[in-house]
Amino acid sequence: MKAWLAILAAVVLLPVFVRHAIATEIWIFAIFGLGLNLLMGYTGLLSFGQATFFGSAAYVAGYLLKYYGINLFLALGIGVLVGAVSAAVVGYLCVQRSGLYFIMLTFALNQMFFFTAYQWTTVTGGEDGMPGIPRPTVLGLDIHGPLAYYATVAGLFLVSLWVMKRIVESPLGKILQAIRENEPRAEALGYDVSRMKLVAFVVGGAFSGLAGVLYAMLFGIVPLEAIGFVFSGNVVFATLIGGSGSLYGPVIGSFVFIWLSESVSAMWARWPLLLGVAFVIVVLFFRGGVVEAWARFWAWRAARRAPAGARVDAPR
Amino acid sequence: MPLVRTERLTKAFGALTAVNEVTLEIEEGSLHAVIGPNGAGKTTFFNLLTGQHAPTSGRIIFDGRDIAGTPPHRIAHLGIARSFQRTSIFPVLSILDNVWLAAFARQESWRGLAWRRADRYPELTRRALDVLGEVGLGEKAGLPAREISHGEQRQLELAIALAAAPRLLLLDEPAAGLSPDETQRMVTLVRRLKGRYTVVLIEHKIDVVMSMSDRISVMHFGSLIAEGTPDEIRRNAEVRRAYLGGIAAP
Amino acid sequence: MKASLLVSQVLNGLATGMLYALMGIGLSIITGVLNIPNFAHGALFALGAYSLYTVIQLVGNFWLALALAPLGVGLLGVLIEYGGIRPLYKAGHDYQLLLTFGLSLIVTEGIIIVWSPVGMSQLPPPVLRGGVDLGITFYPKYRLFVMVAAGLLVLGAWLFLEKTRYGAIMRAGIEDKEMVSLLGIDIHRLFTAAFALGCAMAGIAGALTAPIRGLNPWMGVDMLGIAFVVVALAGLGNLLGSIVAGLLVGVAQSLVALFWPEASVAVIFAVMAAILLVRPQGLFGIR
Repeated sequence: MKAWLAILAAVVLLPVFVRHAIATEIWIFAIFGLGLNLLMGYTGLLSFGQATFFGSAAYVAGYLLKYYGINLFLALGIGVLVGAVSAAVVGYLCVQRSGLYFIMLTFALNQMFFFTAYQWTTVTGGEDGMPGIPRPTVLGLDIHGPLAYYATVAGLFLVSLWVMKRIVESPLGKILQAIRENEPRAEALGYDVSRMKLVAFVVGGAFSGLAGVLYAMLFGIVPLEAIGFVFSGNVVFATLIGGSGSLYGPVIGSFVFIWLSESVSAMWARWPLLLGVAFVIVVLFFRGGVVEAWARFWAWRAARRAPAGARVDAPR
Repeated sequence: MPLVRTERLTKAFGALTAVNEVTLEIEEGSLHAVIGPNGAGKTTFFNLLTGQHAPTSGRIIFDGRDIAGTPPHRIAHLGIARSFQRTSIFPVLSILDNVWLAAFARQESWRGLAWRRADRYPELTRRALDVLGEVGLGEKAGLPAREISHGEQRQLELAIALAAAPRLLLLDEPAAGLSPDETQRMVTLVRRLKGRYTVVLIEHKIDVVMSMSDRISVMHFGSLIAEGTPDEIRRNAEVRRAYLGGIAAP
Repeated sequence: MKASLLVSQVLNGLATGMLYALMGIGLSIITGVLNIPNFAHGALFALGAYSLYTVIQLVGNFWLALALAPLGVGLLGVLIEYGGIRPLYKAGHDYQLLLTFGLSLIVTEGIIIVWSPVGMSQLPPPVLRGGVDLGITFYPKYRLFVMVAAGLLVLGAWLFLEKTRYGAIMRAGIEDKEMVSLLGIDIHRLFTAAFALGCAMAGIAGALTAPIRGLNPWMGVDMLGIAFVVVALAGLGNLLGSIVAGLLVGVAQSLVALFWPEASVAVIFAVMAAILLVRPQGLFGIR
């Protein structure tokens, strides 16, 4: 309950403190991260190619928005569908192999989509990206204004968060965690592990697709990077730094990542170097991310406050 | 009526024949023990029954159908459940969830799989709590599974198998690593299962096996060297030879 | 289609295929022994190329550069394994993997800072410039050299792994680490050696490539994906498989480049996807 209040407060207050476009980007990235975390945090599958679904959805929906003037609902629906279908295709190839191969394959297939986008300049614009993506009106409401679009995206984020919450609290959520904890046992219990992993993959892809469409409409352009491995790495980093062990981790991670990348990249073109360094530092020292650091901090405070001689166990 | 029957079941890993032409029958409702020295192939035999390995040759007839080579995730749905020799649980999940998942898998329909809150399945939660109560872990249902002792984890291991409401229960050394007290508790638990389930038990502790089995099969180097009632096995010279000083003389 | 063009392309494919095999084997060793896909493999490939360039700038000797580049990259590998990967041993493979990803960003950006974001070119050594008349076609000497050199390196790797005691230990480490440590072998030194060896192989592959394709900071990214493809097709630790997969990918890419140049990179991954669809365990792998 407290988490929801905090998030609602953040949604309402954020545009007051931060440029509307950045604020919007934060919620978009949070949706992206939620999708990845179902795979990474809950199922234990490190997918290094989520940009495949993000970018594919952005390109397809963006193309239809630009040349066919489709409405918002159709664009969103297509984004989710493209994300899910591309994830089904990629996932089908990947889940059949064990952990190491899975990771390599998600990356390699991401590269395939990337190079296809890079070369198919007539459709995607190649290196230059696909500019000119409009924001259609919604039921007569004009969402062109930054604040109006922010509200739309924030609303969609809240819906996405609620959906993900339902999923992780459902039997499927538990099954996926069981697969992460002990795959052979989960199988012995009667769960078709490959199929479950594929389901998680498709759901993750759907979320990524939604994020992709919203991204295209935010900046009015689908850049080539949106389908590239750096983007895939970005969302992994954001999820990691937020804390992959909880539902809200990716949300926090999105804040941290977007804030970092926007503020640093404005100053220095070599921002990926800092990202790499941050990656290394987080991996070496802050693996649980912000969520765990927060928990450890409170445990430390509780331990300090406890009377001498009392044993206080740190929560895990 | 035998619930499960193997016909010349064989599993070879390259040059090593782990299970060699094992033919036996398990009567429904009985408690049938499989014993033998380390490396006799007992766990591999179980792995063949539960689909972790596909047999090199031979048949496994369960309830009239040959199930050899069925993948593990379908075995559970046939009504076969198993506990593992090396404790195989879900450490981070709660004890209740460990058992709940076993029960959920066996539901006829998985309605609400991705939508309904997992704690809104009252029948399943009740069944899980019942099973936990039966093995003596009812009080600890909310704890993460990794926070209980080894002995309690062995109880959980058994509970997970029971929660699937199986017809055939395969227990692989349920007393492994247990103290004498804990072993006694486990023996009592397993004895209570007689009649309600068909149980196949792999166990090292001979006195445990002798006291509660209806029939005993003895494996050695992958082959079945003897089978019969506990008395018959106790008197079998070849069995005594295989087990260096394992079985007490009558 | 002119026969000379076809033959040239096939030869190109064999040359790049040998390099792909080299990358695949190096990655296979690291991934097999340490259980982590080395995401820095491509960046280290690029570093090998840039190291070659700098040594030539400083000393003027191609052959010395060719020897020093993999040495330098291999040493960097030792530092990475000791300082980054080993401390994360308890944390798990996922984190070690993420570390290599972070390092790939650092190395790539480091290259841009130290050298230049703009592509550069590197000439082959004078003795290898120009072409050779093969009858059917006139073929660049340097590419022939690369084919031979990469082939020799692959052969050397095979000899090391199959015929030497330490190579056998490494192969055993890929199969069963527990057993290896139970045999009294220092598993940590094995890890360091395997990682360094893999990195050195990436380094020399990069150094060999520089005079063919020039240098740019992102030359490693494509290579990383290709190395993954080779390993996914061949299976971990499968040396022969890596060679076959590497050559297959190289030749397929070259031939496709004749008819459909734009698709020549994407086709590598498409071929991999098609093969995996039919045989999920790869060309030779076991599930």
